[in-house]
Amino acid sequence: MQGLAPPPVAVPRTLPEALAALSAAGDGAAPLAGGTWIMRAPIRHEAHAPAYVALGRIAELRRIDVADDEVAIGAAVTHAELAKALSPFSDLAALAAAAAGSANPAVRNAATIGGNLCARGFPAADLVPALLCLDAVVEIAEAAAPAGSRRLPVEAFLADPAATGGGRIVTRIVLKRSGLRSVHVRLPLRKAGDYPVAIVSAAIGVGGGGRVESARIAVGSVEAAPRRWTGLEGAINGERLDPARIAALAASLAPEFSGRDGVEAPGWYRVRVLPTLVGRAIAALAAAA
Amino acid sequence: MSLSAETAVRNFRRRDARDKLTGRTRYTIDRGHFGMLHAALLRSPVPSGRIVRLDIEAAARMPGVRAIVTSADAPGRAGIGIADHPLFASNVVRYRGEPIAAVAAETEAEARAALAAIGLAIEPLPAVLDMAAALAEDAPLVHPDWRDHAVLHAGGARGGNVAWEATVERGDVEAAFARRDVTLVETSLRVPRQNHVPFEPRAVVARFEDGRFHIETSTQVPWTVRNATAALLGVPAAAIRVTVPPVGGGFGLKFDWALEPFAALLARRAGRPVRLVNSREEEMQTCLFRENAEIRIRSAVTADGAVAGREAVVLMDCGAYGGEQVFLTTMTAHTLGGNYRLGAVRIVSRAVYTNTAPNGAFRACNGVYNTFALERHTDEIAAATGIAPETFRRQNVVGDGDLGATGQVFEGDVLGPMLDRMRALRDKTPVATPQDGRLWGRATTVGTWFVFTGPSAATVNMNADGSATLVTSGVEIGSGSMQQALPQIVAATLGLQPEDVVVRAADTDAAGYDVGVGGGRTTVSLGAASRAAAIEVRTRLLKVAGDMLEAAAEDLVMADGRIEIAGARGSGLTIAEVAAHAQARYGPVSGTGSFAAAGTPAMAGCCAGHFIEALDIPVFAVHDCDLAVDPGTGHVEVLAYRVVQDVGRALNPPAIFGQIQGGVVQGLGYALHEEADVGPDGGIRQASFETYRLPLAGDVVPVAIDLYEGAPSLGPLGTKGAGEVPILNVGATIACAVARATGGRVCELPLTPPRVLALLSGEAPPPAFPHIAERHADNLLPSAPRQGGGG
Amino acid sequence: MMQVTLLVNGEERRLSAEPLTPLLDVLRDTLHLTGAKPVCREGFCGACMVLLDGAPAVACLTPVALADGRSVETVEGLGTAETPSPVQRALEEHEAVQCGMCFPGMVVTLTHLTRPGNCAPTRDAVKAGLVGNLCRCTGYERIVDAALAVMEDGR
Repeated sequence: MQGLAPPPVAVPRTLPEALAALSAAGDGAAPLAGGTWIMRAPIRHEAHAPAYVALGRIAELRRIDVADDEVAIGAAVTHAELAKALSPFSDLAALAAAAAGSANPAVRNAATIGGNLCARGFPAADLVPALLCLDAVVEIAEAAAPAGSRRLPVEAFLADPAATGGGRIVTRIVLKRSGLRSVHVRLPLRKAGDYPVAIVSAAIGVGGGGRVESARIAVGSVEAAPRRWTGLEGAINGERLDPARIAALAASLAPEFSGRDGVEAPGWYRVRVLPTLVGRAIAALAAAA
Repeated sequence: MSLSAETAVRNFRRRDARDKLTGRTRYTIDRGHFGMLHAALLRSPVPSGRIVRLDIEAAARMPGVRAIVTSADAPGRAGIGIADHPLFASNVVRYRGEPIAAVAAETEAEARAALAAIGLAIEPLPAVLDMAAALAEDAPLVHPDWRDHAVLHAGGARGGNVAWEATVERGDVEAAFARRDVTLVETSLRVPRQNHVPFEPRAVVARFEDGRFHIETSTQVPWTVRNATAALLGVPAAAIRVTVPPVGGGFGLKFDWALEPFAALLARRAGRPVRLVNSREEEMQTCLFRENAEIRIRSAVTADGAVAGREAVVLMDCGAYGGEQVFLTTMTAHTLGGNYRLGAVRIVSRAVYTNTAPNGAFRACNGVYNTFALERHTDEIAAATGIAPETFRRQNVVGDGDLGATGQVFEGDVLGPMLDRMRALRDKTPVATPQDGRLWGRATTVGTWFVFTGPSAATVNMNADGSATLVTSGVEIGSGSMQQALPQIVAATLGLQPEDVVVRAADTDAAGYDVGVGGGRTTVSLGAASRAAAIEVRTRLLKVAGDMLEAAAEDLVMADGRIEIAGARGSGLTIAEVAAHAQARYGPVSGTGSFAAAGTPAMAGCCAGHFIEALDIPVFAVHDCDLAVDPGTGHVEVLAYRVVQDVGRALNPPAIFGQIQGGVVQGLGYALHEEADVGPDGGIRQASFETYRLPLAGDVVPVAIDLYEGAPSLGPLGTKGAGEVPILNVGATIACAVARATGGRVCELPLTPPRVLALLSGEAPPPAFPHIAERHADNLLPSAPRQGGGG
Repeated sequence: MMQVTLLVNGEERRLSAEPLTPLLDVLRDTLHLTGAKPVCREGFCGACMVLLDGAPAVACLTPVALADGRSVETVEGLGTAETPSPVQRALEEHEAVQCGMCFPGMVVTLTHLTRPGNCAPTRDAVKAGLVGNLCRCTGYERIVDAALAVMEDGR
């Protein structure tokens, strides 16, 4: 930080220009989306990257394409744009709610889906558990392979520290439309305006008998990184959408989480509230069914 | 000639609103001067240590650097009660964040770069980060040289890490506790720090011209800044002029000196104006927090619900320097010792040094947590004796002729009728109890606060155009009292409209001494001084008018901008005509006024170490709430909040309502959200708005308010301060209601969702204080003056 | 340094700045528009709110490079002492102001919220719209009252 020159910012208009600018800027250069995470680096006592390439003026990264079978979201789409575009679709309700409820309105006008995915070290990101439960795929472009994008399931993307950096740019997030209803339940400490201390996102399919046939459940903010709750997914298979019953199952399985202690909340609390959040999620799905 | 509030224009709107709404108001942070430099402070990275190297040579050669100052440039010490606080650490550092050097440079970035170039080496020393550590046997002393500090106010016991100890003893507490017919109730409670978070951080622009300092600063106390800066720099106080632009919030944080002496030193060294503004992180780390406190309170209660005896130990963390806490030990007698009739009472209140950032004053300082402690204890007494809490309070609140803890005799029945008014207010504002599985709780609490009187001065200049100029050292910090109450009082006295009264911004070169804006004293102390000044003007104008109208002055009335013969409308002259005539004939008309504390007596021999033994103007408050607790997450939702407040006389009800709504919401922050505590590195863990949670719009409710008028007050026109007290019993009320909703013993604040969930699952035991001795006497310094048991 | 063009309160301003400089600092230090306040500098308090192409943005987290070529409306552009905007007038009439530091940001956010279609005229909706605007003095309710009054008048 101290003594380093302030980082330059390139503002390209196309993806190839951006990739070229990123590789030209050299090691450590990074994409800059809404800026709401990167601009707070000084508050976190972190150094800025030596150079940035802004993505906000690249039209193709700002598109949302909703088709019957899949939805493709440009990485530079803001939370506000995402919430608005997805609001009609019940299968994408988890992502729409995550985008509509995160942070505050002005930050939602700036912060992007790509930025949320790439803000490593930010365990309370709202969109990430929603993307996990919706089985999202992340597309990544790099100058070395300008023609073909690399595609990674979001779980693999999160697990791979090398998925970003090194001249790569997350370009799109693609969701298969499963037709399952989805839901996003977050728990801020105040009514709103906080980062949630725990998040449950779920996409659940219910068969003709009113019993769960498929479930994808993701938990955010509880541990250092969001993850799927496969134990609960298996346990509720065949169950009715009974909030109390499923919350009780969640309570029995919650010890598999090791909550992160933070200044805002202790680890035990994040785990302790999970059954309540699962119950709320199931209640919301049952009400919508 | 009598003056009354009937002639005062009420509901007068503040005159600074439009500029604030259009972004034109220039706070200290918005000010600049040609050639102004920017300053930054080098702060200690450790909570305790010995400075083994401080080398500024390289930093002084950095680009843009114009001045560097250190402890060598500021020989003095300042303080309240004890002069224990140097401007810079020298030899040792006593808290993380303590200033070690200050740099002024052409830009802030250059100043910060220069800080990084200062050669600093500190050898760490053992630190005491909390009061348990500070009071442990053989604890390292924060001030090994405490005996050498100059004592500015005699009477407090001191020793080791106890910066100050104040005691009260009235009656035979031993005997009361030994009675066979009493139930003993004991409660231990703990609260963390609270950060004021005024949106304008502490900020200053200083200049040095013609041998004098001119300090423009965001402060509540221009005279304290003047005098403390002089003491710290070792210069005559007359060499310092302090002026105060509009202040962007204070809440007590700015009731002490802060950055001013650094900027003054740098301005003198550099010969240029110097700006110094705390970053938000610096504010979060080093604000003069409401102190963390630990309280043990015990009562002996008879079967019919009389408190035969009470004893309490209150430990207040003052941080590395005594500061305001030394004074605030005084308040425990009036807050924790307040509200109720007590047979016998003994209380010790100790300010304890720790290696943490100094604490200070915050709206209803000390009162907020002592009221929490007292009211929770009162509910536990009610439970132990089987008396309904409302009944217990109605029976036991102090009334006319009752004795306070220090033996002060209270005048008038106030709290009892206020409780009755609260019952009526509850009936008028019912809420539905939650039907969604959440737990419902409600509580009514009482609180005792005061108006911090003390000296004030005012001058009123009567202008020939019929306007008046009011000159004081009062500061507008946002509460509106300088903009509303003072011109209302002057206008009422002179028969003018408040709009006709110009209010001069604070300037220590223009106005006389004033204690400062805080403690609810603006309307009372500055108001009384302003009224006295206006009365002098009035007397002179009436005399001149009497000559002009060939009437006796006592037959004249001043109203609506005119002076007329009583009963003969249209007979007289405009005030402007009289003022112009007086100016031409005798010279311009002006008046001066002053005010000082009344010195209400306490019982002889009850108190030791107190700055105020009895309350000149007590202020009472009754609060009530309904709330719902989510058993799954521990979230508390306030469903309704109600306040009955003793205001003496309400000169400006809309302004008071605004203060109550705002004060209650700050209290909700304290009760439910805001937590500041010290981490293992000695720093405050909640260092930003991300983790320090202020209430948001969605977290609050409109407060139902009933103003209680008519209680006795020495204040001008019967007023009392109304802005400070609204925060007083919010923590108490929420805590009592949550305790009832959950069935848990609420002994700590804030009631964050994790704390409430722990309470619900029985995992939040009351705090244990190994550093508070079982026997009361063992909690007193050996040197403390003792009273006999007979009282 | 980069050359930046901003349309500030309707006027084109060209300036040079380090690209990551917060828009807030450019407004205050270069353009002397000190209405927007630096309070938390982390996007939580809203005291530095501006309208960026008509939408609320926290100027503390907006790198000036991302504002290049865009319209920036600050509190100074929304009304003056002689001609306060409806939002400013309503806040004044509701006696909402205390220390005033949060109000430039409040005015900007409420200007957006009270435009048709941006917020339902209910207390809860207005409070949800103010999640990113903190106030330490007032306890909010009068601010909400003022916003609802503006919406009522605008219908």
